[in-house]
Amino acid sequence: MSDAKEFQEKLKALSDAYAAQLPEKLNQIQQAWEALPNSSWDDEGFRKLYHLIHSMTGSGNTFGFKMISEVSHVLEEYLKPLKLAKQVLNPEQRLRIKDLISELHQVVSYRDNAALSQDSLIAINQLGEHARPQRRIFVVEDNHEFADELQIHLSYFGYDVSVFYKLKDFRAAMKSDPNVVVLMDVNFPEDDMAGIKTMMDIQQGREVPVPVLFVSAYNEFKVRLDAALAGGIAYLNKPPSISNLIDKLDELTSSSMANPYRVLIVDNSTILTEYYSAVLEQAGLKVCAVNDPFMVMEPLQDFAPDLILIDIFMPGCNGIQLAKVIRQFDAYVSIPIVFLSAETDLDQQMLALSMGGDDFLTKPIQPQHLVSAVISHSRRSQLLRSFMVRDSLTGLLNHTAIKDQLDHEVVRAKRQGTALSFAMIDIDHFKQVNDTYGHPVGDRVIKSLSRLLKQRLRENDIVGRYGGEEFAVILIDTDAKAAVKVLDAIREDFSKLRHLTEGMEFQVTFSCGVVDIARYDDASKMCEAADRQLYQAKHAGRNQVSVGNR
Amino acid sequence: MTGKLTRILYVEDEPDIQMVARLALEAIGGYTVEICSSGADALTRAPTFHPQLILLDVMMPGMDGPTTLKNLRELPDFSATPVVFMTAKVQPGEVTEYHALGAIGVIPKPFDPMTLSAQVQAIWEKL
Repeated sequence: MSDAKEFQEKLKALSDAYAAQLPEKLNQIQQAWEALPNSSWDDEGFRKLYHLIHSMTGSGNTFGFKMISEVSHVLEEYLKPLKLAKQVLNPEQRLRIKDLISELHQVVSYRDNAALSQDSLIAINQLGEHARPQRRIFVVEDNHEFADELQIHLSYFGYDVSVFYKLKDFRAAMKSDPNVVVLMDVNFPEDDMAGIKTMMDIQQGREVPVPVLFVSAYNEFKVRLDAALAGGIAYLNKPPSISNLIDKLDELTSSSMANPYRVLIVDNSTILTEYYSAVLEQAGLKVCAVNDPFMVMEPLQDFAPDLILIDIFMPGCNGIQLAKVIRQFDAYVSIPIVFLSAETDLDQQMLALSMGGDDFLTKPIQPQHLVSAVISHSRRSQLLRSFMVRDSLTGLLNHTAIKDQLDHEVVRAKRQGTALSFAMIDIDHFKQVNDTYGHPVGDRVIKSLSRLLKQRLRENDIVGRYGGEEFAVILIDTDAKAAVKVLDAIREDFSKLRHLTEGMEFQVTFSCGVVDIARYDDASKMCEAADRQLYQAKHAGRNQVSVGNR
Repeated sequence: MTGKLTRILYVEDEPDIQMVARLALEAIGGYTVEICSSGADALTRAPTFHPQLILLDVMMPGMDGPTTLKNLRELPDFSATPVVFMTAKVQPGEVTEYHALGAIGVIPKPFDPMTLSAQVQAIWEKL
């Protein structure tokens, strides 16, 4: 073990030494380049330059300077044919070489060998808000009937549930350190606190505790305290309300359901954009990169970013001008724009911000700083937008927003020639639910359907609350036939859900109308047609999906 | 039957790379490593070091890798010593060319110090 550590230290020392020499090496390249005559071919001089570049390509990545190697490789490949041609360089060639050498200067500070600096990677992982999802649930419960019922209900909401009737079996399963959320009973035949004691054992020596929810008939403070000490995130009284339980589980696993922040990067260096993309993607963000500022309008519309990251210095159109152009469109006034640049002059930075930017990051930027700046701006942007477009009870898109989305998606599907389905859903006899059990219970039913839809549809499908008990769903890249299959399965599962209220239990169904884009030119016609199908479904006896045929 | 690989001669003109290669091959691979800074140097030191395998940088000032290989083959004890070329990202066709010259493998540069020994060992074991 100490050998490995010693090796790491030596390697780090060599790498540091290399890093220390890099400025001098770059300086030599710069000098070799500047020494070349403009109007004649200097074979020896060019070979010298070529050789310096070649060494840089061959060494950078070995010492953790991956980007040095990459940029240098591009330059080397560009120089290779010129070296053979032995012709005086034309202005275009000179410009290209000059650009690539200046890019080398830019990437010199990016040192990213995982073996050498794992710190930065770890920092990124911790910041990642959209880390791996935990959709697996271990239910530990000696009452078979109750355990099986939990399993069925949770699986309706998209959770993958394993049931353990015996603590012994559960302990064995935990040995492999699975990524799960545990739902644990407190009282077992062997001991009336066995559930808590078992969890205490399992949590021993773990850096990150296993998330556990306790379910218990006891309500004493001492038991609750022990449960908390055993890593209990929640403590639910028996029998737990399923909707309460799902709420808790959703909170714990919400990372998988929240939309990842979307970042549009505009930078003319492909190597730098790849680097930024990799850093941001590792933190769980969605990235779209554009290298030509003139091509920004389409991804701006289609990708719908939460934030735009713009390099200030780009040939043809600089970042500040680009920001001004973007701000000319009302629709993009509120998207945060963050500038990236090697500019350290505060006055210049302020000028850039006054032109429509929200923040200014100085290159080279540490990966964790990039991630945290991008996440904090995106979070606010998403939050602000959600106040405008989200329904407060369910968090789904509101009436206006879902209609806007439908407009948008119809245009896109037409342009790309892809399929698209639109569905309207209405809860059957909802007024009776409200009248019989009260509005709070009615709200819970609405929430449970909203959750079911979100969990069972794909991440890129769009769900909205259209009105009181009415929902709208946009299924991307899906024709009516496939949409019906999915929605009918959801309908069936929804009808089996048992809603509990003060000891009473009831079931609710919904009706659904579906159409796809094949027959319709625009969103409003699709909308009307889906509404007609919904009416059909209601008329034909409810609890069914009706589809518009050709 | 090639036996266990223990002695490696590495011909490389860059001092940085020499050091990290030595560290990687000695500390991780446990090999005995001799470093030469040029093709000419390699030709004089190879006969006394008795390497089982030679790692040869392709592009070196003076005598380049392929020329060094040709000259090595003229030496009585080195008509068949396995040689591996070390070179920057190769173009399609280049690898075939190196094999035609008698190399048993090509390791791309820049190499990863953590895996260099494993790459060398894999080539050796295929012999």
